[in-house]
Amino acid sequence: MVMHRYWLHLSTVVLSLALPSWASFENTAVVRSIDLGGSLVYTTTTYNVKALEDGSNVYVFALTEREQETTNWMEARVKGHSVPLSLENHGLSHEYVLDLTLLLWYIVAEVITYSTTYYYSVALPKALDTNQTANLVLETVQTHATYPFPPEAAQDDRQALKYDTDLFVLSPYKTLVQRTKFKTVGFPILSYTEPKGVAFTTGSIATKSNTGSAVTYGPFHDLPPSSNPAFLEENQQKISIHYEFGFPMLSVKTLRRVAEISHWGANLNIQDEIHLYNAGPKLKGQFSRLEHQAQAYQRRPAPHVLTELALQLPAGIHSAYYYDTIGNVSTSHLRVVPSASQGGLPGRNSILELRPRYPLLGGWNYSFTLGWDSPLEDYAGWDAEKGRYVASVPIMTLFGGSVVEDAEVKVILPEASIDVEVSAPFSPSSFSSSTHTTYLDTTGRPAVVFKYKNLTDKHTGVIYIAYKVPLSAHLKKPTAVGIALFGAFFVAFLWKRVDLRLEK
Amino acid sequence: LQQLHKTLPPFQPIIPVSLLPYLAFILLTLTFGLAFYFSTLPKGTVKESTVAILASVLGGFGTVAMFCTVGVYV
Repeated sequence: MVMHRYWLHLSTVVLSLALPSWASFENTAVVRSIDLGGSLVYTTTTYNVKALEDGSNVYVFALTEREQETTNWMEARVKGHSVPLSLENHGLSHEYVLDLTLLLWYIVAEVITYSTTYYYSVALPKALDTNQTANLVLETVQTHATYPFPPEAAQDDRQALKYDTDLFVLSPYKTLVQRTKFKTVGFPILSYTEPKGVAFTTGSIATKSNTGSAVTYGPFHDLPPSSNPAFLEENQQKISIHYEFGFPMLSVKTLRRVAEISHWGANLNIQDEIHLYNAGPKLKGQFSRLEHQAQAYQRRPAPHVLTELALQLPAGIHSAYYYDTIGNVSTSHLRVVPSASQGGLPGRNSILELRPRYPLLGGWNYSFTLGWDSPLEDYAGWDAEKGRYVASVPIMTLFGGSVVEDAEVKVILPEASIDVEVSAPFSPSSFSSSTHTTYLDTTGRPAVVFKYKNLTDKHTGVIYIAYKVPLSAHLKKPTAVGIALFGAFFVAFLWKRVDLRLEK
Repeated sequence: LQQLHKTLPPFQPIIPVSLLPYLAFILLTLTFGLAFYFSTLPKGTVKESTVAILASVLGGFGTVAMFCTVGVYV
């Protein structure tokens, strides 16, 4: 069988008005710096860009399929400026490669390789003329990109994670020099892939730093536009970094937050129902309490075991409660910081130190409920112009370095509130409203529910809600109780007038 | 809404929260006192009705204040 392969590069990129030609920019240098955490991976890619045409002002970034799947948060900025540029998502690119294979001279088999690149574009604040340069920074946070390897560990083993990514940073423009640097937070890198047969470079491809906690891949010189499928098939490779990690990998499987606003008590009650999961290596063998106590006594805690958690809660709170399915958990300590309205300094958080009922080993779950009361003066304001109240509710409690997979925030407004207007910092996956009935309610309270997926510490925002409470609604509660009491008096009233004697 | 929220004066309840415990105590003792007085009244619709209505209104506000004092924050 004689086979001939003809590569036909049909680069039919659908050029919408937003995507410019690929000849308008050139990358003089691309440096990707990856900070390897536990559950979260922070990527910072710096593009030194040179314009090749006059008036170039739309720059396009390309993401690989692996990056697109795991990237949770993305921000693009001009280096040195703090205001982010707005990213426009163009989705999967429409490029493809046609591969015609001729078998036996007359059977043609066509193989079409579709592109797996995703494009995002930014509009530069100032259009660049020919040979003008700019530095752009693209920051992303990736979730679920690391996994424990080996997947099982005994109670006193070290914890090691693996991170997979692609060798080259893609760009639809030519790149003169490119390098990628992986860093951990001071933990040693155990092994890293040494790719073979890589073009665009002379000498060694991967070099480990002196401290052992950083690896640099590159520099790669003179890359052509790399986001098309032909380049990807020929040159792109997967590289894995295997590194040690010394903190427990926490993930919050579900977070249910209920914020209840009370106007009679001037109080905002926030209650979190949290399902915590240790995403580290699963426990091999049985849990030995003796081993655990020995570790605590000899001060050599295992890196994948969670015994204590310190949470940052808002300032000015009181009456915090912490219970789980068994009952109240008393092993907690709340250090309260006065809020701004109570005369404290702004920008400080109360600290709650929790010890879960049992230590969390790899693969173990723990669910608990945490709640507190805070004065409504810190959160709500009165808009005299429109006669309404504006309240702010924080979306989640920050669990440092972990991802909240499924979050639901329910805000319960005072009874019979009307004209509700909400503003969320980033769009929820779903939004609904319902009625919630609790103590001393007659018609129930309106509640708005926001659902989110995959929140990280870049998503600590605040939901703003504006609502009106007419005086009649405010007085509903005392009148309802009053009517119930009057009912009792009415029964007594009738009782006096009914004669139940058997004989006169 | 975010900018608006920063500039607004903070929320002020109609009845200050620090007064609520004392208000609860006073209103509820008056309610129980009036209820006792109601039970001593002979049959006479007008007087009974006024005492009942007064006791109910005071009891309504007293109960709400009591709920807030103990921490339920209705």
